[in-house]
Amino acid sequence: MKLRILLADDHEIVRRGLCALLQKREGWEVCGEASDGREAIEMAKQLNPDVVIVDIGMPHLNGLDTTRQLLQHDPHFKIIVLTITDSDQVIREALDAGARGFVLKSDAARDLVSAVEALQSKRMFFTPRVNDLVLRGFLDKGHAISRHEPPSLPILTAREREVTQLLAEGKSSKEVASLLNLSTKTVETHRSNIMRKLSLHSIRDLVVYAIKNNIIQIQMPPQSTTAETPVA
Amino acid sequence: MAVRILLVDDHPVVRQGLRTLLEGRSEWEVVGEASDGVEALEKVSAAQPDVVVLDVTMPRMNGIEACRLIKQKDPNAEVLFVTQHDSPQMMREALAVGARGYVVKSNLARDLLEAVEAVSQHRVFTALARNPQPAG
Repeated sequence: MKLRILLADDHEIVRRGLCALLQKREGWEVCGEASDGREAIEMAKQLNPDVVIVDIGMPHLNGLDTTRQLLQHDPHFKIIVLTITDSDQVIREALDAGARGFVLKSDAARDLVSAVEALQSKRMFFTPRVNDLVLRGFLDKGHAISRHEPPSLPILTAREREVTQLLAEGKSSKEVASLLNLSTKTVETHRSNIMRKLSLHSIRDLVVYAIKNNIIQIQMPPQSTTAETPVA
Repeated sequence: MAVRILLVDDHPVVRQGLRTLLEGRSEWEVVGEASDGVEALEKVSAAQPDVVVLDVTMPRMNGIEACRLIKQKDPNAEVLFVTQHDSPQMMREALAVGARGYVVKSNLARDLLEAVEAVSQHRVFTALARNPQPAG
């Protein structure tokens, strides 16, 4: 029986590359492609794939919240997170969200097949840096990973995180309501609750919060010929 | 006549995606790949491509600087930027250093083939995500 893989990345060119990479393996098939987290969740529910590969930086619903919602729906989903950065905070959030694989996009050509194989064999797959962090955390009784990090997103509900991302992406309450099939009034209530819980006072504050907490990712232009910015 | 194409992007998986799209055209040939601007300059000398498909943000040497040097080294090679920067300002900068084309990664499936065809015939092709502007 074929191993069925669902891919979620907002860039079609990346999905093409990933498809080419994965479908070289006999017995593997990409059963679906999603261009954002919400679409990924819908497709995963319909297709019931063996492995889901999600990019962290997707519009509408980022990869971390996609992972959380998928596992809330069905804890048996096996999820690999693709990321452009392996900062401590992103690693911790991916682990907390329940991802069983963590692959840097820049290393995907080398690592992704191994990651899928690991999950297929009921193992986990992490980059060497993640392994180091996990080991450090274990040796330090679980505190090393988070000791110097700001608190993650404990006080927002899943719905509030979705609304936070959409507002931070520049959408109006009306647009958010339409995307989430809610009334504008409900979205405005979510918005007030979010601002109150996070002690924020403006949309600008909300955008800064969303960037700092990896809810959205921004892109910087190149600064110089030696600038090294992780952009796909 | 075959169009010789050099792919330059720091992410192998993106180069693979570009290759998959371009190899659909039998008269086009991907003659090499590079992962940054410095390597691109070396490959331009060795492979003598007709079209260089170039990312903007790369380590060691970014695409803007690489394009300027590629055009100095081989004025006949046409440069097509393929980037995430959906920005008129970045597009103007790219054209100012000699690029003939500029397309954004989010719309590559729509724009890439048309853009490569245009720049291989020395025509300008620019298309931002929300405002495609092919020009003859």
